[in-house]
Amino acid sequence: MVNINATLIAQAINFLFLVFVLAKFAYKPLAKMMEDRKNKIASDLEAAEKARTDAEAIQKECADKLAAARQEAAAIIEEATKAAQAAKDKAVADTKAEQERIIADAKAAIASDKKAAMDDVRAQVVDLAMAAAGKIIGQKLGTDEDKKLAGEIVDSVMSK
Amino acid sequence: MGNEAAAAVAAAEAERAKELIHYLAWDVAPGVTIHMQTMLMTWIVMILLILLFVFASRNAKLIPSGLQNVMEFFVEFIEGLVTGSLGVKGWKAIGSFFVSLFMFILVSNELGMLPNVVHGFHWTSPTNDINTCFALSLTVAIGVYFVGVATNGMGFFKHFISPSPAFLPLHLLDELTKPLTMALRLFGNILAGEILLIILYQLAPWIVPEFWVMFSLFIGFLQAFIFTMLSICSYEKIYAHH
Repeated sequence: MVNINATLIAQAINFLFLVFVLAKFAYKPLAKMMEDRKNKIASDLEAAEKARTDAEAIQKECADKLAAARQEAAAIIEEATKAAQAAKDKAVADTKAEQERIIADAKAAIASDKKAAMDDVRAQVVDLAMAAAGKIIGQKLGTDEDKKLAGEIVDSVMSK
Repeated sequence: MGNEAAAAVAAAEAERAKELIHYLAWDVAPGVTIHMQTMLMTWIVMILLILLFVFASRNAKLIPSGLQNVMEFFVEFIEGLVTGSLGVKGWKAIGSFFVSLFMFILVSNELGMLPNVVHGFHWTSPTNDINTCFALSLTVAIGVYFVGVATNGMGFFKHFISPSPAFLPLHLLDELTKPLTMALRLFGNILAGEILLIILYQLAPWIVPEFWVMFSLFIGFLQAFIFTMLSICSYEKIYAHH
């Protein structure tokens, strides 16, 4: 059962032949493909990592821009509010001024009308008084001096 | 005289017939005997391996499937063992040798476990022949010198006197016993497995032997692994300093 003979040499040759054939024709393309795959996976992973960092950068940029836009919008709103408030204040002030002017005008008009009316009343009262006094003393009163005197009397009566 | 010679041949034939394992020893020339059963089985293993690897790598794709996947599994398995001991440099240099070694022993070991369907034709493991086992272990052992000198030049022989010249006898003994033990371990395991399988078939033809077949399939893998691992270890001293 344990005979060492020429089979040993033949088997060694067989095995070396097998090693040669497999290494030459079968093993090389397989190893190359495995190497290629390793490289491809490595480069794919690298690309994925790069894409991820890029996406993160873009996301950060978007967030920054959004925050800036929000800030700008808030500033614009504040400014607009201020402008509106100013416009409102101005309108109120203008209205008040106009109102006061109208009132003043009206008062002035009323005063002048009153004065005109009083003057008129006074002239008539003077005439009336003079006519009455003339009738009483039987003499016609019409000189400037008479008018002046009557006027003084009327004035003193009216001012009481 | 002629009768005596004929009687001796007949006696040898009778002796062989009683043996459980038949090697079909042919005297191809005076004094040159070849075990034809071993040779035939070896050729079957070789053709099988060449076909497997050629078909797996012929249309090698980046995304592997089917056979390519299986063969790549084995290649990567050995790659792990080799790069673990010899580094990437050792893998690039002699990795394919270990892939072939492992696959050859693995397929050889499992071949003997195939059921014998055709009458008169027996599946046997080429590794059940001591000649095959010695051929492999001596190829590995002698290969160490070739690869060692090719890689490190004459400085390779320095390992015989390291750490001190007093270790020279131990190193020499190691060089001799390593191929001997590797060959005998493989031979013993596989031959014993096949003999026990034949005996089990005679004792209990049904079911029982199948459990032994399962176990033998496992042992076939284990022995291929052990032999390959020890072979890789014997190349370690070449790449140890790199």
